[in-house]
Amino acid sequence: MPPTSAALSIKGLTKRYGDGTLALDGLDLDVPDGSFFGLLGPNGAGKTTLIGAVCNLVRPTAGEISVFGNPGSSMQARRMIGIAEQEPNLDKFLTVFETLLYHGGYYGMDKDEAGERAEQMIDAFDLRAKRDVEAPRLSGGMRRRLLLARALLHRPNLVILDEPTAGVDLELRHELWSYIRVLHEQGTTILLTTHYLEEAEALCDEIAMISGGRIVARDTAKGLKELHGVATLEEVYLKTVAGGRIQLAEEAARPQ
Amino acid sequence: MTPLPPTRVEPHPWRGLAWLTRRECHRVLKLWKQTILAPVISALLFMIVFGLSLGDSIARINGIEYQVYIVPGLIAMAMAQAAYSNNSSTIFQARNDRYLDDILSAPMSAWQVHLGYLLGGAMRSLLIGVLLTAVALPLTGATLDNPFELLVAVLLLTTAFGALGIIVGVYAQSWDNQSFINNLVILPLIFLGGVFYSVTRLGTPWEQISHINPLFYVVDATRYGFLGASDVNPLISLSIVAVITIILVTWSQYLFSTGHRLKP
Repeated sequence: MPPTSAALSIKGLTKRYGDGTLALDGLDLDVPDGSFFGLLGPNGAGKTTLIGAVCNLVRPTAGEISVFGNPGSSMQARRMIGIAEQEPNLDKFLTVFETLLYHGGYYGMDKDEAGERAEQMIDAFDLRAKRDVEAPRLSGGMRRRLLLARALLHRPNLVILDEPTAGVDLELRHELWSYIRVLHEQGTTILLTTHYLEEAEALCDEIAMISGGRIVARDTAKGLKELHGVATLEEVYLKTVAGGRIQLAEEAARPQ
Repeated sequence: MTPLPPTRVEPHPWRGLAWLTRRECHRVLKLWKQTILAPVISALLFMIVFGLSLGDSIARINGIEYQVYIVPGLIAMAMAQAAYSNNSSTIFQARNDRYLDDILSAPMSAWQVHLGYLLGGAMRSLLIGVLLTAVALPLTGATLDNPFELLVAVLLLTTAFGALGIIVGVYAQSWDNQSFINNLVILPLIFLGGVFYSVTRLGTPWEQISHINPLFYVVDATRYGFLGASDVNPLISLSIVAVITIILVTWSQYLFSTGHRLKP
């Protein structure tokens, strides 16, 4: 692997869907190796399309993606990424243990290694009591745990978490974040999308705001606040990402 | 929760293929009543009702007893439907519930994912074929005259219908789409392809029209493998089935290679 300081490097990434919707508009982004990187933006800004393109789940229209210096579509790049998608997408025919075992297999582990790793993840994510339960019979919180366990099972170098705590109770949120923090301290790069701004501010080294398929602001939380002369990240968000729309809404609400 | 010691997984794409095939077999065996038992019973009922019950009142066809004559076609029909419905439903379900993403994002090449699904469908189809053969041969007195040609015919038919299942599973918008293809395309074409009769008995122009039906060659090649009897030269039948298989496999491979309809 060539030496590189970027875990993820994206250049000119464009995605136009079949219906003409431009989801990504020549987006450029570098996520430094070892960083905890936050990606914030409203619904429809292009976050999930961006993540899909990085994970080989969306076909980009144009642009380049590289993961630790490897072309985004290469086997090496795919092996280095772990993704926990926003909606739990678990195989309905597999139990918790089998979900993890098969995932390890898809990523090249042999049976013993995948089985051992699956048992470790079951303990790490407190899924022991549900080990032999099929995914459709799990509660929402348990599915979320399993989704994260699956994303981390093959020990990826870059972990992508798309709204990982959406609909998760406070206790589990804290548990998940403490686990992810430790993982980050061990050197794993984390790319996080979230709607919880305080969560992004507390966890991320750097934050990028995405709007209309482009990165419209990027810095540390402190840097962003200083740059825009505001006290909170929420205000930065409203100015950079939602500013235009809020202004339009205010104008529309104004008496003629 | 506790942190885990780091380990690095080296890419072993062949393992990915093996695990995907295993997952497909796991699904088939988990649903064995629906995936194996039901089609076996259904084909055996045809053999009993049409062959053993009514066979005596129907004249021999090409010198073969009717109850024996229909066995290869019924086995081919059950195998073709199994390969088709297995792959169309597994792909559609994986797309619909989006757990296909776990496979598409894994370090496996397109042809390995494609082959994994084809092998899963072939396993179900072959299991049904072996079970039906094991029961039907002693039950009806059918023979196994050309095992090599039968093997070639069976491998081609499971691959062709498995690939067709993948194609329909990828394009389907709902469960109705795939049952539509099964009930209104595959089943009628197989029935009209000479499962229960020899097309030579139809006379002009229906005999010639039957030769346009690609499923006729599937049934005829399988019948040659079992009974050594066929309406057309078995080499022609096998060649036509091989061409159909190549077309369908190329199409389904194209879908995985390009991500067409699998990835937005």
